[in-house]
Amino acid sequence: MRAMGVVAAGSRRHRRRQIIGWALFAAVAVLIPFLIADTYSPTILGNRYTVGLGNLSQSIALMVAILGLNIATGYSGQLSLGHSFFVGSGAYLTAVLVNEFHWSYLATLGVVVPGLFGFGVLFGLPALRIQGLYLGLLTFAVAAVFPSLIRLDEVADRTGGSNGLLIDSDLTPPTWAPLDATAGWLHAIPGVGSRVPDGLTGRQEEAVYKYFLLVMVAMVCFWLVRNIVAGRVGRALVAIRDNELGAAANGVNLAAYKTLSFGISAAVGGVAGTMLTMHSGFVGPDEFGFSMAILLIVGLIVGGAGTLHGAVAGGLAIQFVPHWSSQTQTLPGTDVALEGPYGTAILGGLWSAISSALPGGAAHWFRRIKARLMPVAPQPPGS
Amino acid sequence: MPVLASVLGVFDITLDKLSDGELWLAQFFRGLSDGATYASVALALVMIYKSTGFINFAQGSLALLGVYLAYVLSVEQGLPVAVAVVCAMAASSAVAMLVERVLIRPFPPDHALPLVIVTLGLLLIIDSAVGIVWGFRTRSLPSMFPSGAPIEWGIAQLTWRTIGNLGTVFAVVGLLYLLLSRTKAGLAFRAVSSNLESARLVGIRVGPTLGFGWALAAAIGTLGGALVVPDLLLEPSIMLRVLIFSLAAAALGGLDSLVGAVIGGLAVGLARNLLVTFLDLSELALATAVAVILVVLLVRPTGLFGSARVERV
Repeated sequence: MRAMGVVAAGSRRHRRRQIIGWALFAAVAVLIPFLIADTYSPTILGNRYTVGLGNLSQSIALMVAILGLNIATGYSGQLSLGHSFFVGSGAYLTAVLVNEFHWSYLATLGVVVPGLFGFGVLFGLPALRIQGLYLGLLTFAVAAVFPSLIRLDEVADRTGGSNGLLIDSDLTPPTWAPLDATAGWLHAIPGVGSRVPDGLTGRQEEAVYKYFLLVMVAMVCFWLVRNIVAGRVGRALVAIRDNELGAAANGVNLAAYKTLSFGISAAVGGVAGTMLTMHSGFVGPDEFGFSMAILLIVGLIVGGAGTLHGAVAGGLAIQFVPHWSSQTQTLPGTDVALEGPYGTAILGGLWSAISSALPGGAAHWFRRIKARLMPVAPQPPGS
Repeated sequence: MPVLASVLGVFDITLDKLSDGELWLAQFFRGLSDGATYASVALALVMIYKSTGFINFAQGSLALLGVYLAYVLSVEQGLPVAVAVVCAMAASSAVAMLVERVLIRPFPPDHALPLVIVTLGLLLIIDSAVGIVWGFRTRSLPSMFPSGAPIEWGIAQLTWRTIGNLGTVFAVVGLLYLLLSRTKAGLAFRAVSSNLESARLVGIRVGPTLGFGWALAAAIGTLGGALVVPDLLLEPSIMLRVLIFSLAAAALGGLDSLVGAVIGGLAVGLARNLLVTFLDLSELALATAVAVILVVLLVRPTGLFGSARVERV
């Protein structure tokens, strides 16, 4: 591929290219739920793999979870392996508020965000003293504790104990949302349209509505976090990550910014928990144990720590790579059936392979490709 | 005293339970026995941390592989258990050296985050490979030590197994100490763990030294697994549970201290058994361990025996 001409940053052509990029992204984001409303299931080398809208919605919630982890670990460098604790707390808080007080899902964010922020700040206090891998191991142990806290007899009648909580409020699309009609129009488009069903069933409509709701919440989260990390706070956090003493010497208040980073990280994690509850309508203690903690850190590193794109790539990776690994039922290309936990083995191999192939994470790889194809010349400030 | 009584009441403690000397002693012995097993896996984690500066999450899995080999050799092939365990230690050392050479060494050593994912991937691969080969049926591996208890005190029994587990761990630490402080290979290992670049500059062959560290760690981990399994039953997820407590033990003792790993392991084992019994916290076994570690790390951020990092500006 031949690279396009070099474009100056901030120039009109650069701006136009950015707008086109975002418009393409928006178009794909709007089209996809209709395209896979009937589960898309390609057969590759003899194995049938599914891409369901449900998986995609869940991966959006996971993207936000990784985004939160990114603030504490990716930007300010505090190794936190216990992020699933915040996600789980958010999910349970939403579940209890919706079930017992009949709040709407989005209204629970009014409690989840400040509540988890405060909780994260508390969590960040020990992190002022405990650093590096010690902090990582401590937070990992905290993550492993979460399911047993949920199962405690004292709270089990609220949290449902081991059985989890089924949420009795459905997310039904409002009558004004033209989802069914949109599907009809898209179906009429020749070519691509044949993949879109002509009109949606009630279930499909609900799934598409949930998807758009989650995308909306996720976009707000990404936008807010982008503003935080691109500004004064973000620069302070990165300075702490790169050199703590240097940051302190330059007037960064280490204690304030580290606890703040845990607070924001936990708040975003809590929102991700709310999103997961919205998506599945169910919370169970074992979903938020140490396996999720591990998955989130894997997503962060595979996607690319300290980048916003990385959270998107990581969320997709930790949703779909395990999903597809478990769907590999026969040795690719042959009829030899794989029986037993081959899915997990494939998953382990893929994680090792991905992190060997993309040492800086997918975001850095993406950035390199983009710089090769569409080079942008940075402009000195003030010119 | 009414205050104390009400505090105890919250935890559902009865005073006669607290004053039951035999129960204390029984739980103390069980704590020591559990602690010895955590300590031996923690020792393996510390060896890797000392040499490479990161946590090998696959440590438990390498041990799992070793223990299954020991099972095959002893139960299926009829070798004496101790011989089978030694063979399994050698085999898992070989696997660990291979892993280090193929998967770990290609990465730049100062870039630990991708390596953490590689070891996590390895954990999944080995655990599921064990599940594929041997299935999920639980099996029992006989202990290396005779059954029975030489010292009995009512319900409190100091069994041969507890004595054996403790003795093994202390012997391992002693041998490791001698190996590291009195041999040339140990000197090379310490040089690499203290400063990799300088070690390379003075002519130490860094790669083989790291491989040696991995082999040693895997052997110790397998031995630890062989101590654990007779108490629990052998099935593919067994080392995952042990790994969490061993990670806690290593953090408690200090990630770069061999003595710390042993003390940390014993402390976690004791805390787990005593607190759980006397505070009636069976659901919170792990949470109590975490609380203990949190308090210790707040007072000493690098664990009980870990060396503090000195930074140059």
